[in-house]
Amino acid sequence: MTQRAVILDVAVRILYPLMLAAAFWLLLRGHNEPGGGFIGGMVAVAATAMLAVARGADFAQSRMPLGPLRLAYASLLLSFASGLPALGHNLPYMTHLWGSIPLGFTEFKVSTVMLFDLGVFGTVWAALGGLCAQVVAIDEEAEP
Amino acid sequence: MNTDKPSRLVALALVPFALFALALMVYLTAELPVRIHLPWIPSLGIEASLHIDGWALQFILLITGIGGFVLVYAAGYLAGDPKRKRVFVLLLAFMAAMLGSVSADNLIVLFVFWELTGLTSFLLVGTKHEDATARASARQALVVTGGGGLVMLAGLILLGQVAGTYSISELIASGPNWINHELVPLALVCIFIGAFSKSAQFPFHFWLPNAMSAPTPVSAYLHSATMVKLGIYLLGRLHPAFDELLLWQVSLITVGVVTSVLAMLLTLSERDLKRILAWSTVAALGTLVMLIGQPGDGAVMATSAFLLAHALYKAPLFFVAGNVDYAAGTRNIDHLSRLVRVMPLSAVAALLAAISMAGMPLSFGFVAKDLIEIAKHDGQIFAWASYASMFVSAMSVAVAAVAAIRVFWQHNGNASTEGVHEGSPLLWLPPLMVAGLGIVLGLVPHLIGPLIGAAAESMRPALQYEELRILLNGHVLVSLVTASVIGLAFFIAWDQLHKLLERGRELERFSPSAWYDLLMRAIPAAANWLTPRLQHGSLVGYAAMLLGAVVVAVVPALVIWNRQWPAFDPPSLAVVGVSLLLVVAAIAACRVRDSFVLLLTSGLVGFGSALLFLFLGAPDLALTQFAVEVAFVVVIAAILLRVRRLDLEPAPVHNTKARTVVAVAVGTVIAALVLAATAGLFDPVLTQYFAERAVPDAHGRNVVNVVLVDFRAVDTLGEIAVVGASFIATIPLLLLVRARLAKSRRKNP
Repeated sequence: MTQRAVILDVAVRILYPLMLAAAFWLLLRGHNEPGGGFIGGMVAVAATAMLAVARGADFAQSRMPLGPLRLAYASLLLSFASGLPALGHNLPYMTHLWGSIPLGFTEFKVSTVMLFDLGVFGTVWAALGGLCAQVVAIDEEAEP
Repeated sequence: MNTDKPSRLVALALVPFALFALALMVYLTAELPVRIHLPWIPSLGIEASLHIDGWALQFILLITGIGGFVLVYAAGYLAGDPKRKRVFVLLLAFMAAMLGSVSADNLIVLFVFWELTGLTSFLLVGTKHEDATARASARQALVVTGGGGLVMLAGLILLGQVAGTYSISELIASGPNWINHELVPLALVCIFIGAFSKSAQFPFHFWLPNAMSAPTPVSAYLHSATMVKLGIYLLGRLHPAFDELLLWQVSLITVGVVTSVLAMLLTLSERDLKRILAWSTVAALGTLVMLIGQPGDGAVMATSAFLLAHALYKAPLFFVAGNVDYAAGTRNIDHLSRLVRVMPLSAVAALLAAISMAGMPLSFGFVAKDLIEIAKHDGQIFAWASYASMFVSAMSVAVAAVAAIRVFWQHNGNASTEGVHEGSPLLWLPPLMVAGLGIVLGLVPHLIGPLIGAAAESMRPALQYEELRILLNGHVLVSLVTASVIGLAFFIAWDQLHKLLERGRELERFSPSAWYDLLMRAIPAAANWLTPRLQHGSLVGYAAMLLGAVVVAVVPALVIWNRQWPAFDPPSLAVVGVSLLLVVAAIAACRVRDSFVLLLTSGLVGFGSALLFLFLGAPDLALTQFAVEVAFVVVIAAILLRVRRLDLEPAPVHNTKARTVVAVAVGTVIAALVLAATAGLFDPVLTQYFAERAVPDAHGRNVVNVVLVDFRAVDTLGEIAVVGASFIATIPLLLLVRARLAKSRRKNP
């Protein structure tokens, strides 16, 4: 391993999961409060970029579920597919469907919007995060 | 050349034959027109509805009937050819596109299928893509018909806008309401260009003979029986709406006559049997265009009958030309002689087709010729057009004689028939059957009469078809005899006329074909001149060009049109503070020379903007800006560090003054533009709509997110597809750089 900033290395162990949690929280609340898939994705990208600088690009990429390329494909596919159920109800493509799961004291709303936004989140994270990691990797190769 | 074992692909011919049977059943059982409703893009008024009337049905029967024989023939012709599967797939795709074109009721749907036929034609003409001539011919066919198609699209849209509907049947029904609109002539001219380029009319005629580089089954099918008739189809389809228009009549008659005469003259300049047939096809298409341009009941009957007759005699003649080529290895009429002794069945097929082509009695060609004579008699035709059509009839006789008599019966000194023999039944059966049909229908024309009548009725609703009347009056007989005599004279003098025409080669410099070559040479030359001036590779240069363009475009607009500036609204202290930070950071970015410091100062501008968004009540934007800025700074820092370690540091920025001037100018102009824009009247319709509908329709309070993931979700899908695609495209590049670095490090540790 090449030399790395010790403080960053330690800090990132805590910061990375925190930032991912924040990103996910932004994604989930996005429909009603500021946030959403794109912003959440960008925060996750920042987390990956930081991890790549602190602990190496390959490590950062291995922390992404499925790895960047497959995550990008899968997320795009998810977004695309989230518009398909509407066709089954004779509605135009991308008409989102809503349903709710009663939990007794309250109800939990579910919708194809969530799937779509999750796809946006994953695509942004995978594509831009993967790109950041690859650029950092080039920097690593050059180190003496 | 090929093995004689026929290909198993012949079974695919069952597809078109089954469709033919189906279409025939529909015709016999259902009431025309048959309509099938299929919504496609309802928000744009585009319906994929099918509308099958007599005219469309005639095309469907031609496409599937001739198509079946073409596939049978192709299975024999391409036996053992490694490309046979490709050709079959493309032929079937072409057939589907043709069926789509002729049954579509919507102008846009028709256009899409229309271009698909052009695309499959391009691929089929370029079947021998190892050959430069075939590639050039394929490209020419695509450029001419595709370019014409684009002009036609403009015309179709114009027509759709003027008429208020894209449905062809509605358009025709409402014809009298919009026919006098001032834009109708323009739309019509655009549509003419599309139809003329597809159907090889002057001045777009030259691509069709060149398209003969395609394998013979393709030539017989696309470039004789079906695709080139799409232009005719469209003109016939629109006929009921426009037939009273003088522009319609004059354009079609003039272009049709000029094309047919020119094509018949150019026939004489050829020695290649296929090209001779191709020019006579162009002439036949010209005759069809002329007939559509003529007013009257007779003309539409003649159009429909001649369309059928032409397919029934020209396809077999192409088949036979292919057989001759296949067996003798040449299509040059100078090297062919008395083939009847070795290829008797092909000879019979050629003779039957030639009888029909020459319009001899007891053939369907005669029926068509008869109807054309009646039409000429009915309509008020220009005198010169009448003479021209006599010349074309005579030349048809001559071409028919060349294709049959000269090749199969006449003795020619310098050609031998040694080793030449008839091919498999798949090669001689299709021409024999199709040509035979052309004779049978001539004997019993009343069998096919109702179909021709139905096609004519859909071109001219006023017409009431009763029965196919064949006149054997003196006028028809005189014209028949005259055409035959002159035609035989042309046939006998063919070689002398050829030599005479050879002397006129100089004139080719002025032909449309030469203009096309000129255009094809001018485009790369212009690109060579322009590209280095626009794409010089200097990032600084690109930035200066883009920013300069913004200043040059916006300043005059502001000076000339802007009348008001917004009233001054005192900002909050926070906004003032952030703005100061932004200004300081921006000035610093202009002044620093070190690239790393430049990154930090520009990063500061980015973060400052995020703060500003936050204070101005756009938290979504602020969050995004923060996240983007972080990723940006990290990536660029990584690149800069790398560059620095390799001692590749770019020369420090020296002309900071010039850059400051550009930056300040662009900044000022954009600021002024934003101020002017906010001073104008703000249309709140969309904002209100989204704000009102977000919760009830999309169950979300965050309007930005609701717009992104729900109201405009398809746009977002497109955007993330771009993000994903750019990632996939960049990864190999970055991996390559990384691999090279790793390699060089191993070499010099």
